[in-house]
Amino acid sequence: MSLSNLIKNWSNFRTRRPYEGQYDDSPYKWAMVIDLDSCIGCNACTVACYAENNLPVVGKERFGKGHAMHWIRIERYWGEGETLETEFPERGAQYLPMLCQQCEAAPCEPVCPVGATHHSPDGLNTQVYNRCVGSRYCSANCPYKVRYFNWWNYPERAWPNPLELQLNPDVTVRSKGVMEKCTFCMQRLRAGMDKAKTDGRILADGEVVTACAQACPTSAITFGNLADKNSKVAKMWKTQQVDLAKNVQEKTEDGIRGYRILEDLNTYPSIVYLERLRNMAS
Amino acid sequence: MSMGNMDRRDFLRVLGISGAAATLAGCGNTAIESGVEEVMSYVQPQDFVVPGIGVFYASTCTQCGSGCGIMGKVREGRVLKLEGNPESAISAGKICGLGQAAVQAHYNPDRLRTPMMRSEGGLIPVSWDKATQMLEQRLGPTSTLKGDQIAFLTGDISGHQRVLLENFLESYDSTHHVLYDAISRVTGQAASKAVLGAEQPLLNIDKARLILSFGNDFLGAGVSPVHMAAQYAKFRKAPRGTLIQIEPRMTLTGGNADRWYPIKPGTEGILALGIAHDLLQHEEFAKGVPDEVHALVKQYDQASVSEITGIGADAVHLIAGQLWNNSPSLVIAGPGAEGHAYGFSNVVAIQLLNVILANRGKTIEGQAEHPFPQLAPLQGGYRALAKLHEQMASGQCQALLIHGTNPVFTSPSNLPFADSMEKVPFKVAFVTHLDETAGNCDLVLPLLSAMEDFGTHVADYQPNGVELMVQQPLMEKLYPESRGFGDILLDILKKRKPDSYTAFPDYYSYIKTAVVKAKPVFKVTDSDDHFWEDALRKGVIKWEGKPTALEAKLSLLEVPKPRGLEADYPFYFVPSVRPDMRDGRHAYLPWLQESPETMTTIVWDSWVEIHPKTAAEMQIREGDVLVVQSATGSVRAVAYIFPGIQPDTVSMPLGQGHTQLGRFATGVGVNPYKILDPVFDAHTGELALHATRVTLRKTGENQNVVKDEGPTNFQNGHKLVATLDADQAKLSKEI
Repeated sequence: MSLSNLIKNWSNFRTRRPYEGQYDDSPYKWAMVIDLDSCIGCNACTVACYAENNLPVVGKERFGKGHAMHWIRIERYWGEGETLETEFPERGAQYLPMLCQQCEAAPCEPVCPVGATHHSPDGLNTQVYNRCVGSRYCSANCPYKVRYFNWWNYPERAWPNPLELQLNPDVTVRSKGVMEKCTFCMQRLRAGMDKAKTDGRILADGEVVTACAQACPTSAITFGNLADKNSKVAKMWKTQQVDLAKNVQEKTEDGIRGYRILEDLNTYPSIVYLERLRNMAS
Repeated sequence: MSMGNMDRRDFLRVLGISGAAATLAGCGNTAIESGVEEVMSYVQPQDFVVPGIGVFYASTCTQCGSGCGIMGKVREGRVLKLEGNPESAISAGKICGLGQAAVQAHYNPDRLRTPMMRSEGGLIPVSWDKATQMLEQRLGPTSTLKGDQIAFLTGDISGHQRVLLENFLESYDSTHHVLYDAISRVTGQAASKAVLGAEQPLLNIDKARLILSFGNDFLGAGVSPVHMAAQYAKFRKAPRGTLIQIEPRMTLTGGNADRWYPIKPGTEGILALGIAHDLLQHEEFAKGVPDEVHALVKQYDQASVSEITGIGADAVHLIAGQLWNNSPSLVIAGPGAEGHAYGFSNVVAIQLLNVILANRGKTIEGQAEHPFPQLAPLQGGYRALAKLHEQMASGQCQALLIHGTNPVFTSPSNLPFADSMEKVPFKVAFVTHLDETAGNCDLVLPLLSAMEDFGTHVADYQPNGVELMVQQPLMEKLYPESRGFGDILLDILKKRKPDSYTAFPDYYSYIKTAVVKAKPVFKVTDSDDHFWEDALRKGVIKWEGKPTALEAKLSLLEVPKPRGLEADYPFYFVPSVRPDMRDGRHAYLPWLQESPETMTTIVWDSWVEIHPKTAAEMQIREGDVLVVQSATGSVRAVAYIFPGIQPDTVSMPLGQGHTQLGRFATGVGVNPYKILDPVFDAHTGELALHATRVTLRKTGENQNVVKDEGPTNFQNGHKLVATLDADQAKLSKEI
């Protein structure tokens, strides 16, 4: 591609999402809502993810070097500003399930030198393992720090026999030098979408959910198809007044809890979080 | 099968069906009995296998006593993943991390694969022939063991394995079934029983407007966390209920509280009396409360309560005011309140609040009565173990059988269980993994994993009627030399009582026969085969029962006397129970080792939690290696600065520090059970888990604390976790 071509046809090359109505003609746009007032921080989702997605256990030493491979993790905060100064966290802890936000304008995508990380038609930020050359630019560019690099050849060591028998045959076991991340359980989506296509329909709401959402004991995670206006997740986005294609959300009244994390970075995440509540009079 | 010489009453007793509700309509032969159907011990997956397609089978989780229904995804003959079973009211389609890790217990590389027998050089692998020979020689028909000479030590147990175990002991004229759980609920249960008439009342969390929890981690390491988490989610929907948690060390549940109060360990009962004092000022609450309660509560005004508990005087009034304004409320006692010399009195004082607030029948009820008391779950605690320990040490015990508990690891140092084991000439462990206790046995038998065995279970906590949970194999056994616990017991029983047991080729046929016999109680009119197949398909058999009424007996109310600090040991020591590790039996599961403990985000280790203020005073930084010294022993671990703790308290997680239990558990962290002071509850004699006092010594070493939280654990002004005042939220408009 010549520079003149690039400049001349710039609008074809720049990322043109998101825009209003982007998914109107698409059968699927996967999205999530996580209710922080329901999340109890129990780690059922994180273990479910290890089981579903063949995440390697790296051990203490490598975990200490930041090599943990948890695609979803529970971050725990004690508050902000004044509340950090109090003697005790009297409003409890703050639990935040953090996973790939499947940004519509994902900072990780344009920096990949080989196109290994790209956007799928159903709105997922995907990683093609056999294209990945391990530059790790995507991880450096991710503001949520939810991309995980295989520093070691885990298949050789993470599943001593017969632990490897547990591995999910639908999910690639990644090897050394490859970046990986949450896929919204793409293997489940793929199987479900294919089945629905065979039946000549689109997936029904709740027919396929991610492993984290399925396990969650408080149902804090709602997963679904934002392109389907009648899906629970689409209704929740609407009630919470979060628009996928906007980077500043206008709320008609106070007390609407939905927000997207680091929205001011113009990442357009596909996950809406609902503010944690506390009875301040107690 | 023919009934042989067994009469009908015997037959029912053998199967554990003779409760009041078990009025059996008929005693027709089942297909197995009449020999029509050939019983296969294992599911034959080849009938259903479509390569590449996963099939779900229902079963029951055995990772803790909650008895959650699970669905195992089976593909090409392998179990791959567990999900919750929507048929079960307990799990309602959900599952916790500990439950999911059951597949790692099954595929664990350190599973015991053959029987082991003690020889001069320690335990060596032997064949089943040799193991059976030894079992028969010691326990077979020629055995002279009688009564308390034989002891069966188990953890929490229910269902038909309990029945079979008791029948097994009965064949030696023995009832010596010793129950031991290191994280015992005996004290709390006894106190609840004394006040309310129910050991484990039903907590209607979703119906409460306000929950006041004294150190009960019901969302984490509680009695039925998956069920209660779902209830909690409803509780938080409009109109949103408020959770107030009072405990010395913030638990997972405490982290979810609207208001969290750090309290001096052991003073929970005093605080409850202080709140009662405030409530009884109102005539509405005061009437109907006996005079002696008034008299006792009178001395606990806000100022004196505040002095003892470390909770502000205004806070006592505030809590009472909220209880007064938010009816129905629910007051729960937990291990934090129970684990003291006056733990029983603490719980009685706390339950008094439920009585005063008239929560009985609304948010707190009795569990439905069990149609088969013989199948009901049994739990035990320290006192039973201590008694057994004495019997063993004095040479009374000639044979010890152990299943589902690891006292060598979990007993405190005042009870050297390994020493008394030496006095027992024959010790058998039934395990899937060689643990510290099995390592001291003469014969160790490899069990099938929970993914390979049949079983029936009754949960410790029954939210809706009573469910008999059915466990079935999700795949063929991995190791030909492993055997089911029930099968091993049955084999011995067949030799000892051939008339009663030869009819059952294996444990599967035993439980199938037993369950099918109980069909009339479940008011099912299906054919026997349909009934059984339905039970396997759904993984649960439901018995509808109504919640029962609770009593209100306040005669046992007394003043708890909290134990203060001593000059030599200036810190309270609160061991914490991790929801995933529990008493330490799950430390061999790598997913759980690598799963950050939520409050600290630490992995693969033990640590000492210290309040920032205390740490600053003592100039302790994160990662400083400390020696935690009690009167009975010491452990070394890294310091972690933790704001969710009472400043005179230090806390360490239980469950690590294994010397055996495979590669993922050994050498990880230290074992705080060994520094617990021998302090016992005055009423129940149970070990008081939270009553130890310690001193801290710096070693001068500093290590990197391996944890998930970043070096700057705050949000830098970004809206990561946002908090909104519940008053402003519009929950009723939400979807």
